[in-house]
Amino acid sequence: MPAWKKAKKPLYSSSKSLKKMMETETPVVLIDVRDAESAKAAHIEGAVSIPAAQLAEAKERFPSIKKAPIVLYGADTKAGLESFQQVRDWGYMNTTVLIGGFEGWQKGELPVATGATATEIVYVPKPRAGSVDIASFAKAIDSKTTDVVILDVRTDDETEAGKIAGAIAIPAEEVVERLDEIPKDKQVYIHCSTGIRAEMAYVALKEKGYKASFLDANIEVSDSGSYEITEKE
Amino acid sequence: MLSRKLIMAAVGFSGAALLMVPGTIMAENAKPKVLKPCMQCHADTPDNGIRGKLGSVSMKAETIKVDTGGASWLVNFDEDTDLSGAEALNKIPAGKEVLITFYEEDGALYAESVDVKQPAKLDPAILIKIDELAPLIEQGPEKGNFAIVDARPGKLFLEGHIPGAISIYDAQFDKNLDKLPKNKDNLLIFYCGGPT
Repeated sequence: MPAWKKAKKPLYSSSKSLKKMMETETPVVLIDVRDAESAKAAHIEGAVSIPAAQLAEAKERFPSIKKAPIVLYGADTKAGLESFQQVRDWGYMNTTVLIGGFEGWQKGELPVATGATATEIVYVPKPRAGSVDIASFAKAIDSKTTDVVILDVRTDDETEAGKIAGAIAIPAEEVVERLDEIPKDKQVYIHCSTGIRAEMAYVALKEKGYKASFLDANIEVSDSGSYEITEKE
Repeated sequence: MLSRKLIMAAVGFSGAALLMVPGTIMAENAKPKVLKPCMQCHADTPDNGIRGKLGSVSMKAETIKVDTGGASWLVNFDEDTDLSGAEALNKIPAGKEVLITFYEEDGALYAESVDVKQPAKLDPAILIKIDELAPLIEQGPEKGNFAIVDARPGKLFLEGHIPGAISIYDAQFDKNLDKLPKNKDNLLIFYCGGPT
C-alpha cells in the first residue's frame, strides 16, 4: 500500500468510513465534482461543489496541509476517478474516491443536503476523539498509580517480543471477548504500534462503558520493556 | 527486571547454589528456549538450541545473553565457538535473531555455535511490482482474473484501499478463508500497510 500510494495510484474509500468521519466530527475535505446544478439539487452534507472541469482553477482553495484527508465524489465511482489524479498530483497523499459516488451514497440512504454547497474549503486538523498526546501517555506509564492500567492490543507475537511492564496484553480483535480481564474502575490507556488498532480497541471499550483513551502515535517496545514513542507523519 | 532475575536464577550457578535454591531447576525447565515468534518457521529447534533475540555480548566475561520472551539465557563462549552470519560476536546488533547450540557443564552453558539470522529473501517470483499491478487494477478483478486482498485492519480498508480489493485483516485471516475466490487458478495478490 505505501508503494501504491507513493506512485499516486487511485484509492477508494467507502461511504461507511465517510459516514463515520461525519458522526465523529473528524475533519475531512469533501468535494463534489459533479456539475454545479446536480450539486445544488442534492449533495452529501458538508461537501464543497467544484465541478471536475473547474478543479484546476480551485487549486489555491485546497488546504495547505497536504496530509489532509480529501474525499472526492462524482455521480458514480468512475466519475470521481479523473479528478483523483489531479488532486493527488498536487501532493495530497490522503486523497480517495468515494466508492459508488453520489449514487451509491443515495442508495445507502445516507444524509443528503439540498441547495447551494459551502464554497470555502475548510480543514482544521484536530486530535482523534479519545486520543491522548505522547506526554500524557508517557506520564500514565511512569505514574504507576493504581487507578491507571496500560492495555497493549498488539498481537501475541508482538507482545511476547516485549511489552511495557505491568501492561495487560490482549490483541485488538479479542478485546470484546476478554472484557473481564480489563478493570472497569481504572483509566485504561491503550496502545498498539501505530495507534490504529489502539483506536479500534478504544471504540470497543468506550461502547462498553470503560474509561479509556488511546495513544495515536508510533510506539516501539523493546524486550526489556523500555519504549520509544514518536509522532506520526 | 523479571528477565534479569531469571538469568540469575537459572544460569551460571554452581551446584551449591542450586542446592540452596531448590526451585531453580524447575524454573530452568519452564524457561522457553525458543522465542515464540521464531517457532513459526523453526518448530524443529534441537534440544541443545536456544533461539531468540540477542540481549548483549560481553567480550570481557565471554558471555552472550539471549532473550527468549520473558526469559533470558546466559551462555559462555570461547575461541572455539563457531560463528556464522556475522563478522564477530560484538558486531551483532542487539535484538537480532540468533540460534545458539550449547552444551552444559557444571550447570553452566557453553556455546558450540552462534548462528545469526540473515535477512529474509522473498522470492522475486512471488512479488508483484506497481507497474505490473496498475494495469490489472485498471482492468478490475473480474476481467483480469485475479483477486487482491487488503490485509490491514478493516477500518483502514474503509478509509482508503486499492480499487477492487477485498478486506481480510491478517490477524483474522484463518477465520475468513471463505472470502478468498473459489477459483484457485487465479492470481491472488496481497498487500498491507507496512506497520500497523
